[in-house]
Amino acid sequence: MCTEPAVVYQRNIHRHLCGHHFTAEIERRVADTITLRRMISPGDRLAVALSGGKDSTALLLLLSRLLPAWQNVRLIALTIDEGIAGYREATVRAAEQVACRLGIEHHCISFPDLFGDSLDVLLEGRETQACSICGILRRKAMVIGAGQAGATKLATGHNLDDEAQSVFMNVLRGDLPRLVRNSGADSSGKFIPRIKPLSLISEKDIAAYLVLRNEWKELPECPYTRYALRREVRSVLSRFEFKHPGTMLHLIESKEKIEHLCAGSVISAPLRSCRICGVPSSGDLCQVCLLLQLRER
Amino acid sequence: MILILSEHDRRIIHHSPAPVEQILLEAGINPLDVLVSRNGNLISEDTIAEAEDEILVIRIAHGG
Repeated sequence: MCTEPAVVYQRNIHRHLCGHHFTAEIERRVADTITLRRMISPGDRLAVALSGGKDSTALLLLLSRLLPAWQNVRLIALTIDEGIAGYREATVRAAEQVACRLGIEHHCISFPDLFGDSLDVLLEGRETQACSICGILRRKAMVIGAGQAGATKLATGHNLDDEAQSVFMNVLRGDLPRLVRNSGADSSGKFIPRIKPLSLISEKDIAAYLVLRNEWKELPECPYTRYALRREVRSVLSRFEFKHPGTMLHLIESKEKIEHLCAGSVISAPLRSCRICGVPSSGDLCQVCLLLQLRER
Repeated sequence: MILILSEHDRRIIHHSPAPVEQILLEAGINPLDVLVSRNGNLISEDTIAEAEDEILVIRIAHGG
């Protein structure tokens, strides 16, 4: 597109981009995703799940740059501190710094405050289930945090790699309800709508965007990832993507086609209310109450 | 050329000029899992690395 040195090579379309054109393209693609999928409405109070890691930092940066294009939309940053020793302290600090620098209202809530203990304590003896348990509790924490902040929607930094990995994992597990579940499309009003503006941007592109915006930070990786199936899936998919560019995008597209085919079908049991806390649940107890109850035993 | 994989892992590689991607693959690294910088500037993985280059490999930590 110009004569400046290339910093990025887009393998699937055989195109080189300089820093300026690459960052402009990322911003355009995110804006297009938001517009085409009607992710943001005038008047939205948008809670951005900000862990302090690269994806959520990029998300906050991009949304704050794109904000003037939307009518009366307010951003707030929401950080969940699970209390993972040797990891979360650094990322929470990074989250505070970026929110402060961007002048964005920042809320932080912790697992000890919500669930009585840090994730490290809650996981004792169950480290191999770390990601599943953390995921259940984090989602609840985000809903509570978003509610406390008066948010109308919750934006998360899930990227193309994350989404493709989830599709692959759900297929490996044979979990059709989870495969077709669309957290942004709930029309019952029972769940806070979630949006994923980065869902078509690769993890590598997000990292490159941060480097080019001078926002890259070396941060530790969660110590519990070593137990996760996702780690293996990530490695496999990354190899496939390198050898067969476009694989991850095709996985996402396949999922969307399956969702469309299943629309209107009863895939999972109707929602009830958790007997203990009252939130929508597929069972007698929601996953969080079930988890905490099992722990007490 | 010098390949810097981390603060504590600097490797001197005797290699003829070659695409960065080839250097990474020979070091057992998937080019999609890293960014590469030369003289403080990001470079694409098909850039030819020269014998006198110092190539910094930036690992992309997973998790948002």
